[in-house]
Amino acid sequence: MPENDDNVRDMWSEDELDRALAALQPAEDIDERAYHRAKAELLVAAGGREPAQEPVRTAAPKRRRWAWWAASAGTVAAMVASVLVVQTVQLDNAVPSAAAVEQLNWAAAKAVSVDEPLAPGQYRYIATHAWWMASMNEYSYLAENLLETWVPADEKQDWLWRRDVTGARKWVSGTEQEAREAGFPIDEAGWPEGEWRAPCGDWFAEEEGREPCATPGSWQVPNAEFLASLPRDTDELYDRLRADTEDRGQDPDLEMVVYVADVLRTGLVPADLRAALYRALAKVPGLQITEQVANLDGVHGTAYGISAKGQRHDVIVDPGTGQFIGERQVTEEGYENLPAGTVTEYTSVTTAVVPAMGVRPQG
Amino acid sequence: MTRQADEPLPADKDRPYLGGPEPAVEFGRLFDAYARPLHRYLARRVGQETAHDLVSETFLVALNQRHSYDPRRGAVRSWLYGIATNLLRRQVRQEVRALQATARSAGHAPGQEASHETRVADRLDAAAMATRLAGALAELSEGDRDVLLLTSWAGLDSTEVADALDIPVGTVRSRLHRVRKWLRANAPKMTTREEDGNA
Repeated sequence: MPENDDNVRDMWSEDELDRALAALQPAEDIDERAYHRAKAELLVAAGGREPAQEPVRTAAPKRRRWAWWAASAGTVAAMVASVLVVQTVQLDNAVPSAAAVEQLNWAAAKAVSVDEPLAPGQYRYIATHAWWMASMNEYSYLAENLLETWVPADEKQDWLWRRDVTGARKWVSGTEQEAREAGFPIDEAGWPEGEWRAPCGDWFAEEEGREPCATPGSWQVPNAEFLASLPRDTDELYDRLRADTEDRGQDPDLEMVVYVADVLRTGLVPADLRAALYRALAKVPGLQITEQVANLDGVHGTAYGISAKGQRHDVIVDPGTGQFIGERQVTEEGYENLPAGTVTEYTSVTTAVVPAMGVRPQG
Repeated sequence: MTRQADEPLPADKDRPYLGGPEPAVEFGRLFDAYARPLHRYLARRVGQETAHDLVSETFLVALNQRHSYDPRRGAVRSWLYGIATNLLRRQVRQEVRALQATARSAGHAPGQEASHETRVADRLDAAAMATRLAGALAELSEGDRDVLLLTSWAGLDSTEVADALDIPVGTVRSRLHRVRKWLRANAPKMTTREEDGNA
């Protein structure tokens, strides 16, 4: 405890300290839906057959694909009600499926040629600019989260992960001044920041008492073994995606896009698999080119997406190189204060090869 | 102190045997008994939403570690708060930043201007005192903050805090005494942004 040699003022009494403690951060009751959801999860985990008494979900459900993060990092879900972007897009602009299939297969052909191998000692650098939303009542903004990962050639060596809430914000609904006046705790970041090091990028193994590198890979958290195990044959990969997404998400076809975006977002997908994923994606019924020239923070690409259940998920690909640029979500129904066509999350991903851990690419 | 509200389990359920063949029954009961007060405590420390995740995680960790719970060593409530405290460690930065933000916001808090003008400690209203306290709490070590807030906000007694943190009860008492004394002396001296600006 630091010394404080300021001019001496009156010392609080024990009672005054208790009053101040009682007045600080008044207690809030648990949200009933969260209560029932957590209890249901617990009972399922405990092998219970007690039916989940979860009330009907009215708002956006907890986003399953962040669950791994919420479970390990703890706070990601904190302020992420749903994630929106300032920009809105035209909803009736979609190009029919046939063109999407053709263009995506073209991109797949390009994709094969752009893999940068790692020499010993080099690291793959993956920068993810994720714009996630914080909202309170009618106020919503997107905050830029910069996630940087350094991946060694041998994945069993230490990886480095830096997370930073950059402070860049885009107000989607309301203004910063209004939100501050309404008591929106804007400066509480809500997302974790800091630096982690761990073999296999298994960031929380140590504190959770697990052996690192022991967790099997998945579409959301792939490792080299998992990526190698995915078929490169279009039909086989399509079937695998179909099987792995069964009974997940809100819509079977939409969930295929979500899974493809999940794995591409990691920046770890080798070129041959990337090409196979594009070809498999082209087979998903209803896939459309939702925007020929989509703009993700100044980087342009073709957006391929599927609409279902009032939302749309786009995967955005550079048509020239087949490189995965990013993804975004759009609400097609709109929410309170957020019109239909509002982009509901976007993430751009860039990768590079760098000579050492912690070093950013030049330029 | 909120102990009476937080102890819905009958006395013989304070130290249940959790290693039985049907954990769902026992853990359903534990959840009903402790999830709400645990959430209230965690929400005060790291906010409503993070608290939701932490409550969920606490019970899942407890389920996975149920065979390590020894009823002879402490009440199940202490054990749960101990797990929650460990999980809370990941949120220290967030907690400290929020406390600092609260402290900085003091200049805008209603009632703060009057108290700033008078500068008389016993005239400070509770809200203004709380903002000063927030600044002081942010200066504490994690361990000190845990002992203080498990006692004051979660309503655990010294024995329960000792069980939760796995430290001797004498250490809890002396730490609590030292922390409270330091806060009583130093919280009133915490400056607000407004005062910083005037300095």
